[in-house]
Amino acid sequence: MGLRIKYHPILGEDLRKDMISIEVDGRAIPAYEGEPIAAALIASDIKTLRKTKRIGEPRSLFCARGVCTDCVMTVNGTPNIRTCITPVEKDMKIEKQEGLGNWGEEPK
Amino acid sequence: MNEGEDIIICRCEEVSRNTIEDAIEQGCDTLDSIKRRTRAGMGLCQGRTCQRLIAGLLRNKTGKPLEELKPPNFRPPFRPISLGLLAQEGYRLRREDELRDGGK
Repeated sequence: MGLRIKYHPILGEDLRKDMISIEVDGRAIPAYEGEPIAAALIASDIKTLRKTKRIGEPRSLFCARGVCTDCVMTVNGTPNIRTCITPVEKDMKIEKQEGLGNWGEEPK
Repeated sequence: MNEGEDIIICRCEEVSRNTIEDAIEQGCDTLDSIKRRTRAGMGLCQGRTCQRLIAGLLRNKTGKPLEELKPPNFRPPFRPISLGLLAQEGYRLRREDELRDGGK
C-alpha cells in the first residue's frame, strides 16, 4: 500500500476505513469501494494494465481522466473499460487486457 | 529524446513519428489524409491525444499554420460502445428522452 497518500496538505488525512477486495488476474487485492479501479491497482503496485495490440508494449495510466483510453482493462468480462474513471464495486473481476481484448461469450 | 529516435505519436494505433512524417513526405497534407493513410487517430480515443501532435508535425513539415489545418472528420459514436447496446430495444427512445430532459 506504499503508493497511497495517507496525508494530503489540503485534504488532510485519508479517513476511509473499510476496504473491500477485488480480483485482479485471479489475485485478490484490497480496494476502497468507489475509488477508481486504477487507483487501487497502482496502490497494490500493479502498474501494467494492458498490452498494446500491435507491438505488445505494456501500458499504464497516462491521462488519468478518461480521455486517452490507455488504462483500459477487461472488467467483469467486458473489455476496453477505462479503469481511471470506473469506480470499484463489490466482487469486481479485473483482467489485464491483451490488445483490444476479448468479448468472450455473448452477454445475456 | 535523442536525435533521430522514433517515438509513438498515436498511442491507440501505435503509429510512430517516422510513419507520420513519411506520410507527409509522400503527399498527405491534411490531418484527414494522414489519418486515412496511417490510422493515427482511429483508435479507441479517437485522436484526442495525438491530433495536436500530428498537427504540429504537419505544420513543421509543410509550414502550414495550425489555424489553417482542418480537423479530421469525427463520426459518432464518440466513444466505444457495444453493438448490443445499440441494438437494444428502446435504446433510441431512451436517448431521445435524455436529450429532451437535458441529459438527466
